[in-house]
Amino acid sequence: MRPRDLPVIHGVIEAGPNDRVFDVLLLSGPLVVGLVALLGRENVVSAGVASAYLAAFCGYVLYKGFVSGE
Amino acid sequence: MNGARATIGRDLGRILQALAGLMFASVAVSLAWREFWAVPGMVLSGLVPLGIGRVLTRRYGGADEPGKLHGMMIAAGGWAAVGVFGSLPFLTLAWTVELSPAMLATPEMTPTLAAFRDPLNALFESTSGFTGTGLTMTDDEEVLPRTLQWWRTFSEWIGGVGVIVLTTAVLARPGSGSLTLYESEARSEKIHPSIVSTVRTIWWIFVLFTFVAILALWLAGMPVWGAINHGMTGLSTGGFSITDNSIATYDSVSIDFVMLPVMVLGSIAFPVHFLILRGDLRNFYTDLQTRWLLVLFVLGSGLLVGVLYFTGTIDSAFAAFRYGTFQFVSALTCTGFQTAVGPVKNPENVALGNWPAMGQLTVTFGMVVGGAAGSTVGGIKVIRLATLLKGTRHRVAGVFYPDTAVRRLTIDDRRLSDEEVRREFEEAAIITFLWVAFLGLGLFVLLAVLPPGEYTLENAVFEIASAQGNVGLSTGITGPSMPTVAKVAFLFNMWIGRLEIIPVLVLLRGVFSRGGLYR
Repeated sequence: MRPRDLPVIHGVIEAGPNDRVFDVLLLSGPLVVGLVALLGRENVVSAGVASAYLAAFCGYVLYKGFVSGE
Repeated sequence: MNGARATIGRDLGRILQALAGLMFASVAVSLAWREFWAVPGMVLSGLVPLGIGRVLTRRYGGADEPGKLHGMMIAAGGWAAVGVFGSLPFLTLAWTVELSPAMLATPEMTPTLAAFRDPLNALFESTSGFTGTGLTMTDDEEVLPRTLQWWRTFSEWIGGVGVIVLTTAVLARPGSGSLTLYESEARSEKIHPSIVSTVRTIWWIFVLFTFVAILALWLAGMPVWGAINHGMTGLSTGGFSITDNSIATYDSVSIDFVMLPVMVLGSIAFPVHFLILRGDLRNFYTDLQTRWLLVLFVLGSGLLVGVLYFTGTIDSAFAAFRYGTFQFVSALTCTGFQTAVGPVKNPENVALGNWPAMGQLTVTFGMVVGGAAGSTVGGIKVIRLATLLKGTRHRVAGVFYPDTAVRRLTIDDRRLSDEEVRREFEEAAIITFLWVAFLGLGLFVLLAVLPPGEYTLENAVFEIASAQGNVGLSTGITGPSMPTVAKVAFLFNMWIGRLEIIPVLVLLRGVFSRGGLYR
């Protein structure tokens, strides 16, 4: 069984704008929120991962809009 | 009528089962926060709608698909039922603490939780949550059990997108019935040809944006539990808070300004979000509603900042900008987060209820208009304001043309014929008229029951517009001690505001007609 055949992952991939980067951001969202909840603000890893998540989202929206948009 | 009862009963049963699922899922929060005493209450709260829902769906399983009339009745009845059954966690947890059974290590009773022993207060909180209003019966949200903090947040998050949208996404029932229900819940926009695909994509976008909002607020300095709750209620433009003074509790400039785009995201239509995620950023200015919304944000905030600064309400230009912009965006997006609560932490902070009448009425204007149709907001919606303004100009300008002239009106890139203009203008005018009429009715009731001299007229107009616009900003009128009649009136205003009035009137006509009270 491939990961994409799992019910939740299959549902995520089938819905939305059909973009693997956004799919990965959506699927990793709970993990990142769980990480910052567990590690707290003082831990540089949690702050780094949260910042990277936001930067990836904003950067990719702008990239798609200005570089590879429809 | 038996066929109608079967169709309505079957679909109400499905909605109740979906609601029960939300309650059972929330038990995880009770366990995570080690509030084991809350688990029996949450399970019991879920079993009631689950049982009733199963009976209804089994009994009426073979019912016909809903038509337009049934769709409206199901939407209105479904939202009322969700409000009623959604109040059970408040009731059961308050009474669990009150009765304090020996085997459950319950916490001390607080006045805030004690207010929910009253079923009307519990119903008010639940309805306020699911309709995305955010007016509250709590005195101090911080002392609520985490389970109830979560349930308030969760109800707004679900209600922001829609109870029927949730049910359709979960049950994946294709066909015209789902489309009818979808449209009855004050939605008409489709992202994909299939309604099931459309609602799943709406949830996809909503969940992704929720994670983004939570992490942005956390990075801005909000504690993680606050970021989770406020990210969810901010994006769903609900406005429930887990702190006593809403966002003002944090007294943080960075949190205030990070919250602005979160609320704005919630007020933009989902199809526009979808296109932007596909790479079409032009929709920020080519989509009429989004363009008007952004213009209204700038003009309304500018006006409010000017009023606050030049009337001397707030002495510092930056503080006027900070509080004026936040409160106007909060009003126009129908969120209801409040930073203007008085000098609790910041001496420059002036409570909304003490703002000059022109400032309060500017905020009221934002609450009445609301954001874009097809988003999570209340109010009459930007598209109706645009239709009314453009339609009025079209009608007036028509006098200067000969009768034989063929004229078209362009709204949102659609070139409308005279017949289409008449239909759309009529629809916008009827909704707006009903909106204002019920606003006036609610105001009349409120003024009749409020203690004389305690609140000004602009306070009362503000509060009732906040309830009916599903906003949640308050001048201090709403609370557990407000008169019972006012609570009932606000319940009605929140209900009709969420469904854009007509489905509720259709349901009431059906009920009264069946009971022989209306012919």
